[in-house]
Amino acid sequence: MNGPKIYFEIGSFKITQTEVSMLTVTILLCVAGYFLGRNLKKRPGRVQVVTEKLVSMLYTLVEDTMGKHNSRWTPYIGALFLSSIGGTFIGMTGIFRSVTADLSVTLTWALMTSFLVWGCTIKYSGLKSFLKGYINPLNIISDIAQPVSMAFRHFGNIMGGGVLMSLLYSALAAASSLVLGLIRSNGWIAAGVVAIAGGALLFLGIRGKKMVKKIFGIVFLVIALCAALEILGVFREIPILQVGIPGILSLYFDIFSGFVQALVFSLLTMVYVGNACPPIEEKAE
Amino acid sequence: MSGFESIVGIEPWRALFTFCNFMITFLLLRKFLFKPVKKMIDDRQSEIDGLYSDANAEKAKAEALRADYESHLESARAERDEILRDAVTRAQKREQEIISEANSAAAAIRTKAEADIAQEKKKALNEVKNEISAISMEIAGKVVEREINPADHRNLVEKFIGGIGEAHD
Repeated sequence: MNGPKIYFEIGSFKITQTEVSMLTVTILLCVAGYFLGRNLKKRPGRVQVVTEKLVSMLYTLVEDTMGKHNSRWTPYIGALFLSSIGGTFIGMTGIFRSVTADLSVTLTWALMTSFLVWGCTIKYSGLKSFLKGYINPLNIISDIAQPVSMAFRHFGNIMGGGVLMSLLYSALAAASSLVLGLIRSNGWIAAGVVAIAGGALLFLGIRGKKMVKKIFGIVFLVIALCAALEILGVFREIPILQVGIPGILSLYFDIFSGFVQALVFSLLTMVYVGNACPPIEEKAE
Repeated sequence: MSGFESIVGIEPWRALFTFCNFMITFLLLRKFLFKPVKKMIDDRQSEIDGLYSDANAEKAKAEALRADYESHLESARAERDEILRDAVTRAQKREQEIISEANSAAAAIRTKAEADIAQEKKKALNEVKNEISAISMEIAGKVVEREINPADHRNLVEKFIGGIGEAHD
């Protein structure tokens, strides 16, 4: 497993997969946001209803987490959430690499959160109380640990998911070459047996209305077909087993994990910044 | 085209790039998505609130008007009942008056008539008495063929007739 692929270098500035993906995500988000926020009407259409629902959900989430007085932070949180989730999901296209699978990116976002926290603390509680917090030196460690843990959590989850998926793909490729090789070495008889078993399973599954039998019947039939194609010499080494299982696991590793990490990152930012921005009444005291 | 970066590495340029991209995303989304949508939602909310409060005010007004009308109607109904009752009482009183007037008039007429009848009767009786006494004197004169002392005779007859008259009365 490698880091992002380097396309070319200009001095110390490297153009890699991450830069390309990030630019793509930025452009996509801005264009989508522009078109969704355009032509708003008092009587909304379908798209506007969904947009408004999502935006108001975000506002509710921010107001519930940070308090009503911090409602103005919503665009920041929303942009962070969308950048994170977009940066993760763009990896599923197969063309781009996930932006969030790069530590520099998540660390930058985490440091932005930290700087916001420090800035808000100074703004609302004063420089003196900000510095007073560091009388206890453990607070320095916690201030360093906070962005590092946020960055590594997000990066590690997405990266780990990617590593697991690529391991799974190579394992499945090995498994399919093993299975097909076994059938191929036994010639047409083995392929015929597999095809007959598949046909029988499919038939039974359709008669008994059993989903599992139907699925295995189709799998056996497809494997037999691939074996036949390999025996005929049309294709070599078809990684047929890569179809199916990764799709299901991708639901967890890409979609669920990506969503949860974006949510966790946004929630942590909300909590930290919200703590640094107390309600106006408290500030007056 | 020169290989890959390490998995865990920090690139300062990339951090700057990330920051700039994020700021662009943030500012554009805020300008074009979040602010307009939020404004639209808030506008609509306030419009709906306004409509509702207007509707509530209108409803309260209508309710008040209805109560007003109902009380008016109620008083009108009471007034009508009062007038009717009054009229009925008056009519009844008038009826009684008329009946009693009629009764008294009838009674007066009757009394007068009775008096008249009694007088006529008396008159007739007197006439009849006189007639009878005359006739009886004549008859008696014829019967006894002698002139009875008319005075004695009259007394006698009148006594007799008086007895009859009394017996008849």
